[in-house]
Amino acid sequence: MGLTLPEIEIHEPENLKEACALLKKLGRNARILAGGTDLIVDLKEKRAKVSHLVSLAEIVDIDRIKKDGKALSIGAGATANRIAANSMVARFLPALVDACNSMASYHIRNLATIGGNIASAVPSADLPPILIVADAKVELQGPRGKRKVKLENFFKGPRRTDMKPGEVLTRIIIPAQPKKSGSSYHKFALRNATALAVAGVAARVEMEKGLIKKAAIALGAVAPTPKLAKRAAAALRKKKPSRELFEKAAAIAVRESKPISDIRGSAEYRRDIVEVLTRRALEDAVARARGKKRK
Amino acid sequence: MQQVITLTVNGEEHSLAVKPNQTLRDVLRNDLGLTGTKRGCDVGACGACTVILDGEPVASCLLLAVLCHGKSVETIEGLEKNGKLHPVQKAFINHGAIQCGFCTPGMIVGAKALVDRNPDPSDDEIKEALGGNLCRCTGYTKIMEAIRNWKRYVDTDEPPVHDYDLDKHETVGRSMPRVDAYDKATGKAKYIEDYGFQNMLVGKILTSTIPHGIIKKIDTSQAEKLPGVAAVITGKDVPDRMYGVSPARYDEFVLAKDKVRYIGDEVAAVAAVDLETAEKALELIKVTYKQLPAVFNPADAVKNGAPQLHERYKNNINTRVNHHFGNVEQGFLEADHIREEVFVGNHVYQSPMEPHGAIAYWEGDGTLVLYSSTQVPHYLHYMMANVLDIPLGSIRIIRPTVGGGFGGKAETTPLDLCATILSKKTGRPVKMMYTRKEMFQHGRGRHKQYMKMKIGVKNDGQITAFDYTNYLDGGAYSSFGVITAYYAGSMLPTSYRFPNYKYDGYRVMTNKPACGAMRGHGVPQPRFALECLLNMLAEDIGVDPFEIRKINGMDPDTRTINDLDIRSCEFKATIDAVRKASGWDEKYGKLPPGKGIGLGTGGFVSGAGYAIYRGQVQQASQKPREHTFIKKAVFPHANAVVKVTEDGTAAVLFIGAAEIGQGSSTVLTQCCAEGLGIHPSRVRIRAEDSDISPIDLGAYSSRVTLMGGNASMRAGKDVLEKLLPIAAEMLNTVTGELEAKSGRIYVKSDPEKYADWAECARIYFNNNGPLVGTGWYKPPEGLGGDYKGAAVGTSPAYSFGSSVCELSVDLETGKVDIQKFTDYHDCGTPINPMAVHGQVEGAIVMGAGETIMEDVVYNSRGEIVNPNLHEYLIMTIKDAPEIFSGLVDSYEPEGPYGAKEIGEGSSLPVLGAVAHAIKNATGIWFTELPITPEKILKALKKKKAAVKE
Repeated sequence: MGLTLPEIEIHEPENLKEACALLKKLGRNARILAGGTDLIVDLKEKRAKVSHLVSLAEIVDIDRIKKDGKALSIGAGATANRIAANSMVARFLPALVDACNSMASYHIRNLATIGGNIASAVPSADLPPILIVADAKVELQGPRGKRKVKLENFFKGPRRTDMKPGEVLTRIIIPAQPKKSGSSYHKFALRNATALAVAGVAARVEMEKGLIKKAAIALGAVAPTPKLAKRAAAALRKKKPSRELFEKAAAIAVRESKPISDIRGSAEYRRDIVEVLTRRALEDAVARARGKKRK
Repeated sequence: MQQVITLTVNGEEHSLAVKPNQTLRDVLRNDLGLTGTKRGCDVGACGACTVILDGEPVASCLLLAVLCHGKSVETIEGLEKNGKLHPVQKAFINHGAIQCGFCTPGMIVGAKALVDRNPDPSDDEIKEALGGNLCRCTGYTKIMEAIRNWKRYVDTDEPPVHDYDLDKHETVGRSMPRVDAYDKATGKAKYIEDYGFQNMLVGKILTSTIPHGIIKKIDTSQAEKLPGVAAVITGKDVPDRMYGVSPARYDEFVLAKDKVRYIGDEVAAVAAVDLETAEKALELIKVTYKQLPAVFNPADAVKNGAPQLHERYKNNINTRVNHHFGNVEQGFLEADHIREEVFVGNHVYQSPMEPHGAIAYWEGDGTLVLYSSTQVPHYLHYMMANVLDIPLGSIRIIRPTVGGGFGGKAETTPLDLCATILSKKTGRPVKMMYTRKEMFQHGRGRHKQYMKMKIGVKNDGQITAFDYTNYLDGGAYSSFGVITAYYAGSMLPTSYRFPNYKYDGYRVMTNKPACGAMRGHGVPQPRFALECLLNMLAEDIGVDPFEIRKINGMDPDTRTINDLDIRSCEFKATIDAVRKASGWDEKYGKLPPGKGIGLGTGGFVSGAGYAIYRGQVQQASQKPREHTFIKKAVFPHANAVVKVTEDGTAAVLFIGAAEIGQGSSTVLTQCCAEGLGIHPSRVRIRAEDSDISPIDLGAYSSRVTLMGGNASMRAGKDVLEKLLPIAAEMLNTVTGELEAKSGRIYVKSDPEKYADWAECARIYFNNNGPLVGTGWYKPPEGLGGDYKGAAVGTSPAYSFGSSVCELSVDLETGKVDIQKFTDYHDCGTPINPMAVHGQVEGAIVMGAGETIMEDVVYNSRGEIVNPNLHEYLIMTIKDAPEIFSGLVDSYEPEGPYGAKEIGEGSSLPVLGAVAHAIKNATGIWFTELPITPEKILKALKKKKAAVKE
């Protein structure tokens, strides 16, 4: 009893070529199914209406986490819990572990995948901000080949992305992080588990001789897409880290955010939260860059 | 198109044909009959369906079964191996980590997966692992305790000795595990959704999509033609008789006859071969409405010219209470200080983990059998008889295991009524279940209250006068609301002496789901307001917040200003105890900014003094018997029969008391065993079936321990009385010299001289036939005053309690972290201390959530924006505070073995304590609930701006 799923046909292609061909053929009647924690809910609540689901579960290595030269490659099918438990990820980008652990709840994180968290393009998704500041790219496999897109350019609007019909998001490539850099992700939600972000802020700073050489700040849940706060980041260049500096950058980040009001918070409140989270994320990122343990 | 998959479930390989749109949960439940995996929310927000898939816990409601091909699943049913429970299951049972049990399978499975990967989890790791498993009953305290201690149960079944056990009795006063704990810990307990019958149909209700309007036309022809549809009913197919809760205000039709009054009002219902067909049929029903203007808040609804919901309620005022005691004007003249404030509450929904459901079928002799997830089997029974106009004797009500109620299941639902009518029409069993959204739309949650309070005190804090006006947002129908409006006024003078007291309450109709009775019925918001006001006033005049309560606090054997008779009362002892235990004096006023400590208190009835309907049971078509209200309980509210098995080794207690998770079956078993003089392990309780067990009025007004406990105790004693002569003869003494305990009937002066209880019972049967005892409880006659509405608030006894809350506020975001609660209660002498603490812990977490996060939000059309467990926020295990629950010495002569209530009263001190602590942390009083981070931050910014100017 309870909510029902519509009649659907499930496809389980065994390779990407087959998957792309299927998706191309089925067009708008199909959605890619990964962990299903978002899509199955949308189907049950009749927000999504498709008659075909193309599961990626049978595709070899779709969930593989591996070194790719100096970069780290995370298969789109890797679940949040697998990523959080992976020692390479922990060394490479510890803030991604934090972001994974901030999602939903443990038993949902065993299903939810990084590919789904990105490709669903829900504005409040937890993984895109940290991946954007880490300069991550997504690899898209289409019927006519692969292409890579910088994650910051991937999102086109709420639940809209750069993906073309027939394309599958296959993996996320995180380049080697600059030396003396540190990253962080701060999320604010209305309760401590099973809660979507009111706002989320990721930051990365690169230090040089006590100064911030370069910084990146990405905002989640406060614009139609995850968004780089470029002017805020620019204000940090060649500056000595201080609370005042971070507060100044945070104030700029607020102006770069475009929040809406909804049940989780008003636009005004979200701006207040962005300001606080930006400062805290920067403080943490600098501490990490200096090799200090986080509080 | 079905696909065949292989699935290993609990070590057994199954080959299953499944449809692509079936979830793993549904396959486990429906195809394999493993109903321990529960349906709580359908969308991965509650954790009740957690199973272990290839070693990791997952939400099985989000997994398509076809994609689990070749995988291995472990469910709650697989944890018990070779008749031996998993240590985590034992720990949950022995530590009282189970109440309604609906979250339990998911919680235990999640905990089992945790200890498999990490045998020594820290508290943070436990919380992280179970953050997605919601529990509405326990407050998570005992769940944490159970998992912390799980290793102790690896090679033993030894129950722990609880330090709060009183050791006065072998049965009563002992923290024995729940009688239903084993079934709940193993997934064997059957809830309404777990039942099915041959040839059963599934029913669904079509509800209004507009907030207010006239039904012009309903076209069901397309729906009727749909293959698989067995029946479609609309307003014309249901009785003309209306139903409700308060007899004076029955105002709901089973299905709308002419008008709809809120989005969700019931318009039509179908029965079909399966859920999918029933849903399709609903889509094919075409309803034409004439829209009417709607009104969504009491302030607008009472204005002249506002849309009228019901003709009979002029200006939409459904209930008006004007209770004026003493002379308030004079009282304010005598006051040295006066403070007046406005407080606004919130729409809170009970959110029991188990959705409502009903299954109805008719037997060949015309008997209706109705299974229902209800906390009031008798009122359901009565209401079904009333609406259908058939005798009570033609109806059998069965209450399966109920997964929590908190007042949300305290009345007859459209599911009960529609399933019954559809079953009559089709001649087949009909099952109906709510979805989570339908639960919210059905409503019956807490009334949002708009309260203006004015209080006057002398310089020392002594209250001289209290004047209070309350507008209650009632929603579209009466439900329990008449009583709510009265309780909102009558329950404040139980804990404080008010020499002059004025209450004006107005329950107002609005185009939203009806509000009803929720834990603490009508009182938590007024209590929040009063406790805040007292704390404000204490600050104003420089009196200690504890002192102001002690100066005005209630004493035993007092008649309150509104004519309630307080008997046992250790209110002041609870105040002293929390002060000491919380370390108040070292903390209050001495904490850094952002840290706060606060105090709240409360008191509640131990069972309503009068039944909801006044007369005796009658058929609706009979002319109502003339019955002017007399201060007399017309029939016994709780009734028990004990039957001893013919060999004397066990006794079965029959009582229709509704176990909904609160623990009544356990407490009643203990009371009965004590009365019998045998160990409770030899007593079984049968409380599910109205054909078997006599009437108990149900789980509301915190009445079962006192009333059902008395009935059960007396039934037990009645049996013992019959055995004493046999024992006396065997021991060559007289009955007056005898006592019974531990299955022995012994000579008081020489306990080594005894007769075996079972042997006496066997002899009794051989000589006299069935050994049966009966017991019943009627509240004392003459309770309450002589004014209109004096009955609401009367009770045989009252509970009292005080809570201290400690929290921190993130002054940059406004987020509140409730860290610790210290609570002391006067619940009389507890029957089962572990169960008492479980109630307190659950009430604290529920109340704390109400204060800072829970709110049903409506859009401008009167539609609920957050009818789900993702956006209607109840506390998770990661939000719940650490709780210390203590009890003060108390004995209530009217209660069984001195006991009073705990379940509802324990929620009352919580809201005020949280608000006080937030004030203490931020310097700001918040008078509107919930006190969200956004409200806090806004106020902090405003304060900062004001300081700058």
